[in-house]
Amino acid sequence: MSGKDELVGIRTAALGKVQAAESSAQLDEIDTQYLGRKGELTLQLRRIGSLSQDERKDFGQSVNDIKAELSEAIAQRRQALDAGESKAKLAAEAVDVTLPGRFYQTGRPHILIETIEKIKRIFIGLGYEFVETPEIEDYKYNFEALNYPPEHPAMDEQMSFYINDDVLLRTHTTAYQHRVMPYRKPPMRVATIGKTYRYENVDATHGHTFHQVDCFAIDHDISLTDLKGTIQQFAVEMFGMDVNVRFRPDFFPFVEPGAEFAVTCFLCKGEGCGVCKGSGWLELGGAGLIHPNILEKAGIDSEEYTGFAFGFGIERMPMLEHGIKDLRLFMENDLRFLRQL
Amino acid sequence: MKVSIDWLREYIDFDCSLDTLADGLTMAGLEVEEVIKLSKEDFTRAGGSGTIDDIVFDSKVTPNRGDWLSMIGVAREAGPVVGGRVKMPNVKLDGSEPTSSDLIKIRIDDPDLCGRYVGIVVRNVEIKESPGWLKDRVIAAGMRPINNVVDITNFVMLELGQPLHAFDYNLLNDAQIVVRRAKPGETITSIDGNERRLEPDMLVIADSNRPVAIAGVMGGEDSEISRQTQDILIESANFNSVSIRRTSKRLGLVTESSYRFERGVDPSIAPLAAMRAAQLIHDLASGDVAKGIVDARPVPVEPLEIKVRPERVNLVLGTSITAENMARFLNSIDIETHLEDGILISQVPTFRPDITREIDMAEEVGRVYGYDKLDTTLPDVTLQGKDSPEGLFRNKIRRSLMACGAQEVLTHSMVEVKLAEIAGNANKAVSIRNPLSEELNSMRTMLAPNLLQVVARNQAYGTVNVSVFETGKVYFQGGSGRPDETLSVAGAMVGDLWRSNWSLPAEALQVDFFTCKGAVESLLGALNISGANYIPVEHPMLHPTRAAKVLVGDREIGILGEVVPAVSDALDVRGRAYIYELDFRALMELAPEMVIYQEPARYPALYRHMAVVVADDVKYAQLVELVIRSGKGLVEAVDMLDVYKGEQVGAGRRSLTLSVVFRSREKTLTDDEVNAVLGEIKEALAQKAGASFR
Ligand SMILES: [Zn+2]
Repeated sequence: MSGKDELVGIRTAALGKVQAAESSAQLDEIDTQYLGRKGELTLQLRRIGSLSQDERKDFGQSVNDIKAELSEAIAQRRQALDAGESKAKLAAEAVDVTLPGRFYQTGRPHILIETIEKIKRIFIGLGYEFVETPEIEDYKYNFEALNYPPEHPAMDEQMSFYINDDVLLRTHTTAYQHRVMPYRKPPMRVATIGKTYRYENVDATHGHTFHQVDCFAIDHDISLTDLKGTIQQFAVEMFGMDVNVRFRPDFFPFVEPGAEFAVTCFLCKGEGCGVCKGSGWLELGGAGLIHPNILEKAGIDSEEYTGFAFGFGIERMPMLEHGIKDLRLFMENDLRFLRQL
Repeated sequence: MKVSIDWLREYIDFDCSLDTLADGLTMAGLEVEEVIKLSKEDFTRAGGSGTIDDIVFDSKVTPNRGDWLSMIGVAREAGPVVGGRVKMPNVKLDGSEPTSSDLIKIRIDDPDLCGRYVGIVVRNVEIKESPGWLKDRVIAAGMRPINNVVDITNFVMLELGQPLHAFDYNLLNDAQIVVRRAKPGETITSIDGNERRLEPDMLVIADSNRPVAIAGVMGGEDSEISRQTQDILIESANFNSVSIRRTSKRLGLVTESSYRFERGVDPSIAPLAAMRAAQLIHDLASGDVAKGIVDARPVPVEPLEIKVRPERVNLVLGTSITAENMARFLNSIDIETHLEDGILISQVPTFRPDITREIDMAEEVGRVYGYDKLDTTLPDVTLQGKDSPEGLFRNKIRRSLMACGAQEVLTHSMVEVKLAEIAGNANKAVSIRNPLSEELNSMRTMLAPNLLQVVARNQAYGTVNVSVFETGKVYFQGGSGRPDETLSVAGAMVGDLWRSNWSLPAEALQVDFFTCKGAVESLLGALNISGANYIPVEHPMLHPTRAAKVLVGDREIGILGEVVPAVSDALDVRGRAYIYELDFRALMELAPEMVIYQEPARYPALYRHMAVVVADDVKYAQLVELVIRSGKGLVEAVDMLDVYKGEQVGAGRRSLTLSVVFRSREKTLTDDEVNAVLGEIKEALAQKAGASFR
């Protein structure tokens, strides 16, 4: 048998074994048997010395071709076997993906504080500086400095908790105005936000404690339309849609002209729904131009400067937004409630 | 104010829809809160004629607009809405001799409290039931028909806004009326049958020797109109608002009359109202009206002239209304106005005491013009807004505590004084003088008791794993007598750290002292506050041997620990609860404003574990301090791996396994170097802490 015929036989047998191999170990054996230092193909090369010059080149080429082909076949077979083996290994590691995850207890912000933060961000963007203000307030700041005539019926809407004759729990955040105004120079835009207290019996829509924000601006030529525009700007950002603002004359001793303001109902977009009682408007708070008496008391020339002020309750917004019917839920702190919002 | 539409039509003509009218009034500031339909049956049931039905606007009168508490006031406001003018009632009075001034003497002793007192005498009246139409008016206004004379006084009050009173003329001693302050010790039995003690600053109407009415509030029983009454004196007076309000408050007696006087009654309407009532009594009670009126008027009130600059009005309103239109608007609500050299000259009628200066006139112009027609603009100048430093810091705290798994809560500042007692602050708590209830008689001195109440409430609702925190104010009696308030931050936890734990050992999840301390440490870490020390402390809320105060340097910034059973019981908390409470301002002051970045170490660390056996009273913190102090500056950190107590270490001792991290910022340390230092550390621990090693 010629060397060539022998080579063909080796090739056929080797490739057959490769295809039949069932494990990586078997492939290693095949590798050693044919391609190793003492492998059959390697040994074939040693025969090269017994061949003629012409035959040598041809035979050597054939052996190297077969070696390359076999290496490639082994590598391919090895790859196929590896894939199968790791698949089997992973298959054995199955978990029940429907078991519950290991629970991360995450804390959530309280919905009212979240609302307060949102309101603050909007007014900060509109140029207002927030200041910290006392809740236990002097009678004079809560009423007198805000232009309440002595013993006026307007105070009936502001029934107070008293600490003593001169000190009470503020009935509105507006109480801080005279703590700030005399100590700053126009133009100013200042705001405060926090707890207020009124002597009211508690039910689903009334509380003795609630939260308010109060903002004011003083500058040359501030007008009622600036106030309306500012409130509209706030409402657009707060409710994330185009809203209109409606002013209606109202009375607060510290503003003149005074208005109650409403914004387009964000639930029905002004079409009228149960929440806005069909009107398409949500009444939010009180507003107006700062009464000249107040500017003058703060040492600000009321001819040269005008200002506006407005304020509103916080609780109403999340109540409207989340369909909360009972005000008391906010301060009851039932986690089943708080964790939903 | 309940406004009968059927009645309103007597004072103003309109053919617009009631919706338009209601909207128009609301947009003028007289809010129509409810539209009530009254059927014939409703009138019959209330004792009325049963011949008409009616619509009633229940409208909300702001406290500055006493003039809206009358039909003519509402009709006047409706004028610009419907394009008409108010029609005043026609009063024609043919009195007969003797004159009222022959029959009654009126003297005002205290003109500061009574600027005007008008009286008319009507004789030979027949007290009986009112005719149906009169009863219907009174019913529609929400009042109860009594008899013709009383109904007439109420009718005129509702019509013109002037509260009236009718005395039984023959029961007045010496046919005399004296308007004066009460004398010490005087009493009166008011027509509601209550005897009332009068105080010397209360204004009364007296005859020659006794009070017969509490001025502007309520009449007296023994001069009241009755079936036997023949002759009556009609009082139409103007009283000081503040005085009436004080008296009404002091007596706890609010009447239709006092309500109107508090809000201001037009002093000019008194004679018309008296004559209107006399005329009706003549018509409906067949009385003989005495000729003329008695008009005691020590303090005449005249219309106020105000000059208004149209350009100023446009500036504050942000409008461009012509001066002519402004004048037209003002005239349409009976503020007589004309234009002179570009200035509006207005005569403010006496029924509008709320208008005192130019800005008030601007509002009137704006109201008639329509607030809904105002544009929206923004102030020209842009300013830089910002949060308060406290607001910014509060958000840092909130983020950190929420990341530790705590739910943020918001609790009441008004609490039961019991909570201050629990916190050991009973003597410092601020009390509410007029609490709504005993549960709300004090301001909180700590947040933690509130949080334990939140824990208890949630446990009662079946939520057993609770971790909550709050940032908020606490309040104390201040040195100067004025209370202080400051910010605090606190947390409370009970139960398991995680609510679902199917693959973790149960005991690992139970919150304990160290879970609580971990929250505080995390917070301090988030705020970049380092060097906190935890020292055992006694606190009325805390377990005597599981409580610590937190010190940074010399400054005590708060407490933490396990809640003592007595406090848990008092607040209905079940199981072992843990709390911490820290001083917000202290944290704010201690937190560095700026943090400078430090480059991470470039050389590798070497780790050594050692089991240190020490007496029970040797604290972990002492060991750490010794390790660091004797570590030649190479100890980067010490970690706690395990605590063991038991046979192997003997009674009264415990073994703490520490992991010490060695690292140099200059070079890579060798095992030999570290072992040498470790030897010195062990030596120091043995000598200074009596430690042995396992
Ligand atoms: Zn709606």
